[in-house]
Amino acid sequence: MGVTCVSQMPVAEGKSVQQTVELLTRKLELLGAEKQGTFCVDCETYHTAASTMGSQGQAGKLMYVMHNSEYPLSCFALFENGPCLIADANFDVLMVKLKGFFQNAKANKIETRGTRYQYCDFLVKVGTVTMGPSARGISVEVEYGPCVVASDCWNLLLEFLQSFLGSHNPGAPAVFGNRHDGVYGPADTMAQYMELFNKIRKQQQVVD
Amino acid sequence: MADVLSVGVNLEAFAQAIGAIQALRSSVSRVFDCLKDGMQNKETLEGREKAFIAHFQDHLHSVNRDLNELERLSNLVGKPSENHPLHNSGLLSLDPVQDKTPLYSQLLQAYKWSNKLQYHAGLASGLLNQQSLKRSANQMGVSAKRRPKAQPTTLVLPPQYVDDVISRIDRMFPEMSIHLSRPNGTSAMLLVTLGKVLKVIVVMRSLFIDRTIVKGYNENVYTEDGKLDIWSKSNYQVFQKVTDHATTALLHYQLPQMPDVVVRSFMTWLRSYIKLFQAPCQRCGKFLQDGLPPTWRDFRTLEAFHDTCRQ
Repeated sequence: MGVTCVSQMPVAEGKSVQQTVELLTRKLELLGAEKQGTFCVDCETYHTAASTMGSQGQAGKLMYVMHNSEYPLSCFALFENGPCLIADANFDVLMVKLKGFFQNAKANKIETRGTRYQYCDFLVKVGTVTMGPSARGISVEVEYGPCVVASDCWNLLLEFLQSFLGSHNPGAPAVFGNRHDGVYGPADTMAQYMELFNKIRKQQQVVD
Repeated sequence: MADVLSVGVNLEAFAQAIGAIQALRSSVSRVFDCLKDGMQNKETLEGREKAFIAHFQDHLHSVNRDLNELERLSNLVGKPSENHPLHNSGLLSLDPVQDKTPLYSQLLQAYKWSNKLQYHAGLASGLLNQQSLKRSANQMGVSAKRRPKAQPTTLVLPPQYVDDVISRIDRMFPEMSIHLSRPNGTSAMLLVTLGKVLKVIVVMRSLFIDRTIVKGYNENVYTEDGKLDIWSKSNYQVFQKVTDHATTALLHYQLPQMPDVVVRSFMTWLRSYIKLFQAPCQRCGKFLQDGLPPTWRDFRTLEAFHDTCRQ
């Protein structure tokens, strides 16, 4: 896998989420990108159970369990700003067994679904972020396959993003700064999605 | 309208000319009839000769007259096909049954096609003559069969010497690591890893580089049985392009007398790809063109260009 940048695309003024997604995909198709099926990234939130919290005297930490259709056999478990665990897909079953320690906050389940596009060595995924029944925002993921060091190709990625995002200018993802020369991995992508989902959840709370 | 008119005039002249030809033929056959019949029965020999000559003269005169008439008419008919670009074949366009025999349109297409072909072949040969491949040019026309004889020293170098040259180059560039192996006899294969950007498989024959394949840093360079995979190409378009350019570089860096200098220049050139994703094009100033970063590196200045931005 190469370096990936996940960003949130603001909904165009006077347009619905669906219309903005269509606008984006049309731009991509005009650019010459080819449709390559669909993708899905989902995220479930787990609270540390009250019984364990008391004994250890910790503040309630949230754990996120995520799946990515790009890695269908894997499951990702992340803490905010913390480590990322990559496990086999039946990690979900284990989480059910750990009910006593981690409780699933079902209402917080959030996911993004959309179309996958290939343009040259770029992989672009434009998705609609949904929480429950309604659409909450738009996620844009761009992966540049040939490069493995994030800081090497950020300028190149930015130029590509600007070619179809128009005026919206995404900043460099925080994970790019973390490991300056390290090899980029799937966990970094999942961390970006986690941040994006958290941002969208907070926006939602403000609106409510 | 003009065409139709001129054709009409011609047709009339044609009819007259055909009549004239018939007249000419009959008068000529009369000459031969007269010759065949010979002298007629007359009382005196002199009378016979005179009568025969008079007849013969008459007939020849009429041949002459008919011939003149035909010549006059043939001038009237003119040569309609001459000003047509396709000469006589242009007359095919007069064929009224276009649907059954579309010869004329096919002919026109074939003509256009062959014209274009000739033009393009001319251009291509001009270009190719300018850019002859230096590898063969340096060998001064020695035929492929005689090549090993012409340069025995450079092709039969001891493996130890090759190892030395490679390890010296390896030490020269800290960001580049070279792993040498000899899976098939004496020919060396190099796996060059350039930073965290790309990997290059170099197949050598003595100190000559025979083949290079460029792949991504995260791509597999081994086959299933653990050997270097020298046949499959990279999955990424950018590295396929760089492979093409590296092959071009092999042809550019040629110095049959000093093969170690060639390898060193090639590696120096290759090292400039350490900034493959970081360097914008020196001409257009952009990173991407048709989805590809600047994949070309100038052979002398090592500056980055898009494939279409270089001269």
